[in-house]
Amino acid sequence: MASLSEEVLLVVKRVRQRKQDGTLYLMAERIAWGPEGKDRFPVSHLYADIRCQKISPDGKAKIQLQLVLHTGESSTFHFANESTALKDRDATKELLQQLLPRFKKKANKELEEKNRMLQEDPVLFQLYKDLVVSQVISAEEFWANRLSLSSVEHSLSNDSKQEVGISAAFLADIRPQTDGCNGLRYNLTSDIIESIFRTYPTVKQKYAENVPHNLTEKEFWTHFFQSHYFHRDRLNTGQQDIFSECAKQDEKGLKSMVTQGVKNPMVDLLALEDKTLDEGYGTAAAPSTSNVTKTLRENSNCAIIKRFNHHSAMVLAAGLRRAEPCSDQTSETSSTDGNSRDSDFFQPPLKKVKLQEAIEYDDLQSDCRRKPISLNLKKSDRYSHGPVPLQSQPYTSSQDILNSIAVIQQEMKSYKPRLTQVMSSSAASSAITSLSPGGVLMQGGSQQTVNQLVPSDLQSELKHLYTAAGELLRHFWTCFPVNTLFLEEKVVKMQSNLERFQLTKLRPFQEKIQRQYLSANLTAHLEEMLQAAYSKFQAWQSRRMMRKT
Amino acid sequence: MESEDEINILVIVIDINPIWWGQQAQREPKFTLSKCLDAVMVLANSHMVMARTNKLAIIASLYQESHFLYPSKNWKSGDDIASSGDGKYELLSVANDLFAEQIKKLIDRKVNCTQTETLLAGSLSRALCYINRVSKEVDAGQDMKSRILVIKAAEDCTLQYMNFMNVVFAAQKKNVLMDACMLDMDSGLLQQACDITGGLYLKIPQKIALAQYLLWVFLPDADQRSHLLLPPPVHVDYRAACFCHRNLIEIGYVCSVCLSIFCNFSPICTTCETAFKMPLPQMAKTKKKKVKTVN
Repeated sequence: MASLSEEVLLVVKRVRQRKQDGTLYLMAERIAWGPEGKDRFPVSHLYADIRCQKISPDGKAKIQLQLVLHTGESSTFHFANESTALKDRDATKELLQQLLPRFKKKANKELEEKNRMLQEDPVLFQLYKDLVVSQVISAEEFWANRLSLSSVEHSLSNDSKQEVGISAAFLADIRPQTDGCNGLRYNLTSDIIESIFRTYPTVKQKYAENVPHNLTEKEFWTHFFQSHYFHRDRLNTGQQDIFSECAKQDEKGLKSMVTQGVKNPMVDLLALEDKTLDEGYGTAAAPSTSNVTKTLRENSNCAIIKRFNHHSAMVLAAGLRRAEPCSDQTSETSSTDGNSRDSDFFQPPLKKVKLQEAIEYDDLQSDCRRKPISLNLKKSDRYSHGPVPLQSQPYTSSQDILNSIAVIQQEMKSYKPRLTQVMSSSAASSAITSLSPGGVLMQGGSQQTVNQLVPSDLQSELKHLYTAAGELLRHFWTCFPVNTLFLEEKVVKMQSNLERFQLTKLRPFQEKIQRQYLSANLTAHLEEMLQAAYSKFQAWQSRRMMRKT
Repeated sequence: MESEDEINILVIVIDINPIWWGQQAQREPKFTLSKCLDAVMVLANSHMVMARTNKLAIIASLYQESHFLYPSKNWKSGDDIASSGDGKYELLSVANDLFAEQIKKLIDRKVNCTQTETLLAGSLSRALCYINRVSKEVDAGQDMKSRILVIKAAEDCTLQYMNFMNVVFAAQKKNVLMDACMLDMDSGLLQQACDITGGLYLKIPQKIALAQYLLWVFLPDADQRSHLLLPPPVHVDYRAACFCHRNLIEIGYVCSVCLSIFCNFSPICTTCETAFKMPLPQMAKTKKKKVKTVN
């Protein structure tokens, strides 16, 4: 660590760290600081360990740079050289900005992924706690099956990230704030700047031309907002404005858009004019005599509507225009309107398709699908009685039937409801006793389900035991059939894991249940599953022994 | 407000199979059809008196037909209502008179019976149709709770199984409770029906106290039942019977085409004659020694 075997990229003198003067060295793979005159480097961080860097704001007296590591520690460096402190700090910052992304550890992503998975799924988290933290199985085994699935998904999601579109209100969202003394403060974020560049390629071109040669970034944007290009009424655009060209180009673009029109045969834009029905209905078209002398208000309305249309067209076009690499810059600057791209797409075949869509309905076409196979039942009378058991019907002779009917008819001839003598009180009271709690009909109602007998914390513990046991047993059973050496070792390991699980988790739980005098045998099924695994293992082992001998 | 009251409709389906009741009259003269009808009338009156918005319908279920006893098409309201003279609520007296009249007419007709079993599925579907009709006539915003009470005397008829199950599932869909009061013997079908729709099933030990059982157990409606201590639900035997022997089985084979249940495996389903391709068990392949013919 004392010898500088790596290439040194930057050396900054007069840097203080923890109130000690020293020198800061930026090397190929690490950043190191050593006190003045000494040869050793008490502070040295690999770029891979650094999570981010922070700088003190511009107005402060102390010019500092802070490095935050992944572990959470941070080291602060104070640039104490009077004349060149700011430059030094900025140079260091730029260099770090370029170097840090290169060294971002890939393994870290995996750790983050694991953490994310554990946080999202509480069942998984519980399983992890039960198995890994209590040392029943190792962490690698736990993640072996799971990470492979997630890394595939992760890479897929990274590759096919969707493009973010442009909000049509991005200019309006800037919302200038008053500065207190007659000035306005515009907050520009990189998102807004990107939106402006994507929508108005001419502005991007101007930016590329002027910054950083003629104007700084701040000055450029100040000019932009001050120019009438940005403001509502573009009246005085003839002056010395870098954006006057942009305004002219916009006009040209709008005109070309109008001449191109829309190639969809179903859309008739000319039908959208205001039509008059009669006097007083709709707006009357002004007679041609007053064509020349349009009022000032009409003019400005016309201009602002034109600007709105242009803006919306540019936003849409920017969304359609894919973020192509720099090779396509020429086409970008040449076509200020996006429709010129779209015109390539609207060819005659599309017109045909659109017409066909409008004429035909899929539902009304004749059904030319294959005929489905029909059910062919040979003994359909089986369904009439369905899956009910055969019951013996008592045989009634026809004589009996006739007798019964006669009796009933006789009885009903003289039927008069006697509602005051429906039943005797003794019959009623015996019925009530049979219906009261403890009576003949009320037996079997006081059984409580296991759900109610066992307290809920025991229930949740049992659930955790089940998931943990399930996980272990899954690992165990996937080893069979044992073909490779790896599987053999795994089987033996899983057997010992299962035994350890039974000892450390299952037995204490059973004892706990017994202590609470619960008679329900809650762990019988778990024991059964473990026994099945043990017997399988023993059978496999004995077969292996036999094969060896 | 009156419009906010819930409407509770109770449809009583009585099994008045004359063959069974005739034999019952000979077996046990103390409890005859008239007594049963009286008890049902008591329940009906009590239900109508419980709330002004309660509705009632009574269906008699015979072999080969089912008949609406109340409300009836032949009911001429308004004219010549014979007042009972004892100051009874007029609705009740009208209902009782109508009930008695209709049942007398029903029993008196000469019918030739080709089958002796009660047409329960038919009565139940008519009950459901009636409930459906009434629910459409209800004002918007009014709830209607409906239940069907089946008073069963004779045995089950297994030929009606499909229709019966359809009715039960339709009732479940429509949130109609089905209760069953069994006079003589248990019925597996009605046990299933009560279990599926959430109603009560009761086989009463003493027939002469029928009215008491009806009032105690079957008068309260679904909301009130949760506050009362009523007989616990019976354990329903949901085992199916195989189509070949009609034995109850717990594990069986089901044809994937026609869904018929068998107790033994057979490669051809006897109901729909589908042949099943079964994968043969892997035979241990012995290594064949190549015999080289040397010419």
